[in-house]
Amino acid sequence: MKIRGAGAALIALCALGLVVLSSHCKTAPAPSEVNQALQQEQDLWRAGASIFAPEEYEKYRQVLAGARRLFEKEELKVGFFRDYEKVRQEFGRVLAEGERIRKLIEDRKASLSGEIEARKKDLFSRYETLNTLSLELSQRTLSRRQLAQADVLFRESDRFLEKASYEEARSRLDSIESLLNQAENILRQQLERYMSQEEIARWRQLAERAVEKSRNGNQLVILVSKLERKLTVYKGGAAYKAYEVGLGFNGLSDKLHAGDNATPEGEYRVIKKVSPSRFGKALLINYPNEEDIKKFNEAKKKGYLTPASRIGGLIEIHGGGKDGLTQGCVALDDAEMEELFRMIPIGTPVTIVGTTDPNNKIIAILRREYREHK
Amino acid sequence: MKNLMKLSVLGLLVVFLFSSCAKQPTQQMDEAKAAIDAVVQAGGNIYAKEEMKKLNDDLQAAMDEVNAQSKKLFKKYGKAKEMLAKVKTDAEAVNALIPARKEEAKNEALTAQTEAKTAVDEAKALLDKAPKGKGTKADIEAMKADLAGLETLLTEVQSAIDGEDYFGAKDKALSIKEKAAAISEQINAAIAKVKR
Repeated sequence: MKIRGAGAALIALCALGLVVLSSHCKTAPAPSEVNQALQQEQDLWRAGASIFAPEEYEKYRQVLAGARRLFEKEELKVGFFRDYEKVRQEFGRVLAEGERIRKLIEDRKASLSGEIEARKKDLFSRYETLNTLSLELSQRTLSRRQLAQADVLFRESDRFLEKASYEEARSRLDSIESLLNQAENILRQQLERYMSQEEIARWRQLAERAVEKSRNGNQLVILVSKLERKLTVYKGGAAYKAYEVGLGFNGLSDKLHAGDNATPEGEYRVIKKVSPSRFGKALLINYPNEEDIKKFNEAKKKGYLTPASRIGGLIEIHGGGKDGLTQGCVALDDAEMEELFRMIPIGTPVTIVGTTDPNNKIIAILRREYREHK
Repeated sequence: MKNLMKLSVLGLLVVFLFSSCAKQPTQQMDEAKAAIDAVVQAGGNIYAKEEMKKLNDDLQAAMDEVNAQSKKLFKKYGKAKEMLAKVKTDAEAVNALIPARKEEAKNEALTAQTEAKTAVDEAKALLDKAPKGKGTKADIEAMKADLAGLETLLTEVQSAIDGEDYFGAKDKALSIKEKAAAISEQINAAIAKVKR
């Protein structure tokens, strides 16, 4: 009985000992900083650490690897002997460094994004200017391809910016800049002389002479201003009637030879009234005049034109619609052409100039563009 | 004394066996690296970015383990071998995923290309039908030139697809589609202007 009692006491003592041991020798749990740091490393990578902070990220990874080794070493120990304090401290340092890198990445991204956005804004403003200019011209096809492509690339760069793919966005902006340069060159070739003060002064002189003619002879005189796409009939020195007109495919250039689709500039007169013509009613002018012939011959002599080039002719003021693009003629809407046809006698002086307004909208746009990007 | 000598020799032999016979698992290392290289070759950096990152990290961890063991007197490469074998198996699994993802990206690019082409064709058809009346002729010429610009860009989409740059092709195609839709809107506005 005594032995049985002693045995039971021993078992109870053992059980108590086990309980005490298990409560005091529990394996310490791994510090939460370990998993936080591992997750942080993944997040940093996803945020583009290897791109936006490569050196800092590499160092961070090395420190993290060291901390992991320390953790693994501690894990190999028997639970009772494990002490995670050093591990916790080490991973704490990793987390702090990771946080610093996260902010660094955000700052660098914001700075890059800002730089790209600013360049995009600048390019877009330039695009809008050129787009407006190209749509203001009678020949609206000029540089449209380049501008439409630039528009698509702006959209592409937006997509890349959204994805934080800054290099790709930047490469699209480079392409846009190249397209805008091409568009500007095309427009400038056509319009540069419209910015020349000497050329504008010469055109104004021609225009003033036309008005003077109408005043002195009390006769009708036609003045066509190409840039403004306007035909004005002067009578007794004053504007009597005005019409909107369409010009050649290459209407803003001065005509030099057959097939250049340019509208001639100079002093002419109506030599024939044609009815019906291919485009409703028409007033045929005496292109080429002496000056045109002289210019053509000089250009041929200097080799600007091939020996087979011809000067052309049959330049008319005709109907068919002011929105049409001609091969060099001046086109009006049919109803207005009817009116003009009735009004104008053969022999009426016709002066065609580039522009008479040195401050018109298109020139203002060109000058602004020129100042901003020269 | 004799026994002591025997024991010492035996001890040295055991130490020698433990320290020098455990060689670095170079074959497993090479195999794991080759498996990852195969994933890169298949386009892993494009189509399996996350998985590639994990593979590289796991390989690095395995290499760290090899390195740590190589500095010990009693080298045990068992764990490193297991890690390397897992990297190899995982890399093979990722490699197997890529063709399907590539195909998916290709299909998305092709769909976007078709949509862009359809949008351009629709705008062209609309332009052909647009009444060339007062106030629209010059606009129509401008829009025709715009569409010609888009058609040039469509060839770039095809080039990107041919070069297996499916994501780039898709982005470009979607941008073309948007621009073509904007042109269609302009055409409709021009038509409405004539009708008024």
